[in-house]
Amino acid sequence: MTPTAAHATTGTPATRRLGAVVAVLLALLVMSGLWWSAEDVVQGSTVRIMYVHVPSIWVAYMAFALTAVCSGAYVSGRSRSVAWDRVAGASAEIGVLFVAVSLVTGSLWGRLTWGTYWVWDARLTSTAFLFITYVGYLAVRRLGGTLRQRARRSSVIALLAVLEIPLVHFSVELWRSLHQEASVANPNARVELDGLMLFTLMLGLATFTALFVWLLLHRQRVILLEDTVADRGLDEAIASRRDEAGAR
Amino acid sequence: MDLTPRTDGAGVPVRRRRRWAPMVVVALALVAGGVVVTKFLTSAIDYYCNVDEIGVRDGCDGDRRIRVQGIVRKDTLEKKDGTTAFTLEWNGKSIDVSYLGDPGGVFQECIPVVAHGRLDGAGFDSDRIEVKHTNEYQEKNKSRFDEANEEAAACSVSEG
Repeated sequence: MTPTAAHATTGTPATRRLGAVVAVLLALLVMSGLWWSAEDVVQGSTVRIMYVHVPSIWVAYMAFALTAVCSGAYVSGRSRSVAWDRVAGASAEIGVLFVAVSLVTGSLWGRLTWGTYWVWDARLTSTAFLFITYVGYLAVRRLGGTLRQRARRSSVIALLAVLEIPLVHFSVELWRSLHQEASVANPNARVELDGLMLFTLMLGLATFTALFVWLLLHRQRVILLEDTVADRGLDEAIASRRDEAGAR
Repeated sequence: MDLTPRTDGAGVPVRRRRRWAPMVVVALALVAGGVVVTKFLTSAIDYYCNVDEIGVRDGCDGDRRIRVQGIVRKDTLEKKDGTTAFTLEWNGKSIDVSYLGDPGGVFQECIPVVAHGRLDGAGFDSDRIEVKHTNEYQEKNKSRFDEANEEAAACSVSEG
């Protein structure tokens, strides 16, 4: 679908309703994270960083997985619709944003608990590599060429880069790491979070997931508009040259 | 001049000019990726040796700078003249650690830590301490009965 000038907006009644739900969830998360949930017996209030840190990396994993699924759909689909590529690109952009949030919050959390902002251990190093890979992916998307060229080359990278996610997630199991094991999605299926801490973490996961969907809907529509503008610029250039040729 | 009308919007070159900024970002990403992979291979794999592996396990030799992981033994923590001294233990083996300064973080007794430094005779001279914490989180304002249990179990961190 190509948006008309009258329809050149990324909002719809549905996305506005979703945005309102996200705003309410974020407010609840702030309340639960900062006031309702208790301090940790060892870490004190520092534990509250977890309610942003864990959901951020969760959204990043989800975003990169969606990028790979859409890239796979583009490569394997008969129609080779570039709409798949737009969703893939939008999802990767949001994923990079949330990995950055996870790295920053993790660094602050590390300073307060470990006593250092950064260590080159397996989890932190592999997460940094994941971040760099997808920054590279986004740069490759902007190298120019046709929309199909963009979709083809970025699909290949996305399908390879997604293999890093299990490496990052299980790095704390595969190698000795300063980083603790996963609090929820760990191989032992053992969740050791008291009362409202677990609730707040789950609320954070739900909130950030809803935020991801809302951002994704808007961002892929922005990319559609950008592609449309680029096409129109080309149409105008061709029309202008036709006029020049006709005037001779 | 080719003015053939396009038949498919997706098949038309939309950008002809060379874009340098994305190329620079790709190049930087490749360099940064190389640095990170190097760090991974030289530091991240087997980030530390456990106390019981010093001098036993390959890479945990006493003649080089190492990272040692263990639990700070209860009632051994002593801070004097700007130096923090404590005993680190793991799997029945222990080593006395000396650190110049305050380790920071949530450093305390009965908590797992990673000490960076060198063996100094029978002890370990550390210049950097990192505090590990588990994936277990307990509310601070629990009942007195639970607090008593916590205290009793404070040093029973699982080893492995």
